[in-house]
Amino acid sequence: MDSLFLPGVARILDVRDETPDTKTFRVVLRDRAAHDGFEFQPGQFVELSVFGCGEAPFCIASSPTRPEYLELTVRRAGQLTDALHRLGAGDEIGLRGPCGNGFDVAAAAGKDLVFVGGGIGLPPLRGLIWNVLDQRERFDRVTVLYGARTPNDLVYKDELKRWAERSDVEVLVTVDRGEPGWDGIVGMVPVLFDRTELHPRTSLAFVCGPPVMITFVIQDLLMRGFADHAIISTLERMMQCGVGKCNHCAIGHRYVCRDGPVFSYSQIKELVE
Amino acid sequence: MEPVTAQVLAKDRVGEWIERLMAEAEVIAPVLAHGGDEVFAPIRSPGEVLWEFTNPVHPPKRFLLPQTDPVVAIRRGDNGYELEAIVDERRRVLLNVRSCDVAGLAFLQHVHAADLPDRSYLERAAATTIVCLSCPDPCPLGFCICSGAGPFAREGYDLQLSDIGDLLLAEIGSERGGELLAATDGFFRPATLAEMAQRQQLEEKAKQLLSEQTCHFASAMRRVSTGRVAEDLWRKMSDWCLECGACNFVCPTCFCFSVKDRHNGDGWLRCRTWDSCQYPAFTLEASGHNPREERRDRIKRRFFHKVSAQYYQRDGMVGCVGCGRCVEVCLGTTDMPAVVAAIRKGEWHG
Ligand SMILES: Cc1cc2nc3c(=O)[nH]c(=O)nc-3n(C[C@H](O)[C@H](O)[C@H](O)COP(=O)(O)OP(=O)(O)OC[C@H]3O[C@@H](n4cnc5c(N)ncnc54)[C@H](O)[C@@H]3O)c2cc1C
Ligand code: SF4
Ligand code: FES
Repeated sequence: MDSLFLPGVARILDVRDETPDTKTFRVVLRDRAAHDGFEFQPGQFVELSVFGCGEAPFCIASSPTRPEYLELTVRRAGQLTDALHRLGAGDEIGLRGPCGNGFDVAAAAGKDLVFVGGGIGLPPLRGLIWNVLDQRERFDRVTVLYGARTPNDLVYKDELKRWAERSDVEVLVTVDRGEPGWDGIVGMVPVLFDRTELHPRTSLAFVCGPPVMITFVIQDLLMRGFADHAIISTLERMMQCGVGKCNHCAIGHRYVCRDGPVFSYSQIKELVE
Repeated sequence: MEPVTAQVLAKDRVGEWIERLMAEAEVIAPVLAHGGDEVFAPIRSPGEVLWEFTNPVHPPKRFLLPQTDPVVAIRRGDNGYELEAIVDERRRVLLNVRSCDVAGLAFLQHVHAADLPDRSYLERAAATTIVCLSCPDPCPLGFCICSGAGPFAREGYDLQLSDIGDLLLAEIGSERGGELLAATDGFFRPATLAEMAQRQQLEEKAKQLLSEQTCHFASAMRRVSTGRVAEDLWRKMSDWCLECGACNFVCPTCFCFSVKDRHNGDGWLRCRTWDSCQYPAFTLEASGHNPREERRDRIKRRFFHKVSAQYYQRDGMVGCVGCGRCVEVCLGTTDMPAVVAAIRKGEWHG
């Protein structure tokens, strides 16, 4: 029996700036065998330690089809994330996990997939998107709809461009507020639904983002004919242990860290505080 | 009534028996502390052990789940960080634990063993022997009988002692309990039928003293589980909660925690520390969003976790053992029996 609380030591290989307050960290577990044995599903998360600061949960933003390293995209939000942002290549952190349930990729086979991301909500979807693109033949249409407050707040700008260039992916990006130099779409994420062709009966929609955005997007998708079980989202809660023991993430008798963070809308409707 | 294997020990030899226990393990028992408080503490001599006492305001929970519990040692080595899980396998005997607290420990054992087993709790528990002292004179605030947790323990103990005059009768509740008696051979002899009957009478008498049902869990459970408690009732009750967290900290079944790093030499100890679901920051997210922003949401949470059918099914018992501690410590009036009564009647008078 291993300790539930013992992290593995991981080394930062590379840090990329995404936005003024968000960075992507590329890391490997220091122990080669542990790294190779680290199996995960997109949508799962890790408890990340900055030693001396404690731990916080972050979704794995890379795909299991690219196992050489893990990537985490982190917005500076407080003590631990501040300290993490000061670390660079060669520095060590702790990783515990993977935690949570992850997306059911097998169940998405043969379907049209619509990814709807808002702001910092793109990272969990990004792991899933690469997972899908790396086995593109298993899925039907793939649409990525993404919005952020301003052009400056868009993450993975290069990748959005690369995906858009592919003929087998449709990518639409919007910002709440345009800026000089932005010649793209302006408006909240749901405006993108009118610019693409949705196929509610054959689609699964994956929705990640801030709580308000999720609420609006889900209402919109329901209106457009998506079934409750075809809308899949991730919930965020304050977490301490990530392993179903500390009770911080409980909703009723369900635990976001164990039963989630991925839930279908039909499951979300049944969660009562 | 199931046959019980029981042995008896002459009271004037108890000290010697405890000395034997002390040679093998740290013995923790209710003792008189500074200022006249009765508390659970490691003993230095058998004479310190109290045999008649008010159940201490802190249950023996903290010897299995310390308020600050180091779980990982973090050190900076020559080749980077070195991490090590901290395992506490120190042998302990918890002596003179009341039946409500025995049930509380059984509850904690269950939640830490369920789903992903929590080694740091389980190893400590595995090295701990629980010796119950039954309650022939139930305490004034207790309502253990309402949660099936007393006044005599039915399970969860290694040994259960009952005071039958000049003798202590010891029931064996586990293999370990049996071994403990075998190891201290010469102190105990098998109980006679008459001695067993004496113990039985004590239990019947204690049950009669507790006979008036004071906490109706079943009817509260029906309402809590189906969301049939008016929001306004939660609001009114929550006006009487000062958010101090005392009910959580003295409760033998509460186990919520946070995880923090503490300086230790030139490294850190990662510790789990008690936390309270009644504190607003318990669910505060980094974004500033708080799903349980209002005090009424938090008090509702506490009682959902303790008395809902959903948790009853998950944990196999209500999350209250009827020890009465929250009645004693609550600065307001939102203790378990008061809230259960309000839920049942649909009204609150503060
Ligand atoms: C499953 C899951 C996946 C996640 N994935 C990601 C991800 O991929 N990327 C990402 O960037 N984030 C992610 N998050 C969010 C991330 O975990 C938090 O941003 C992180 O925990 C913040 O930690 P911190 O120590 O930096 O902030 P903290 O220091 O905890 O504080 C954050 C903010 O809250 C305020 N605060 C803290 N305590 C209090 C208090 N008591 N009273 C008032 N204000 C207070 C602080 O002022 C600060 O502004 C995820 C969360 C979950 C649950
Ligand atoms: S809820 Fe109150 S009475 Fe019940 S076990 Fe906890 S402290 Fe004791
Ligand atoms: S984060 Fe501890 S129970 Fe979910």
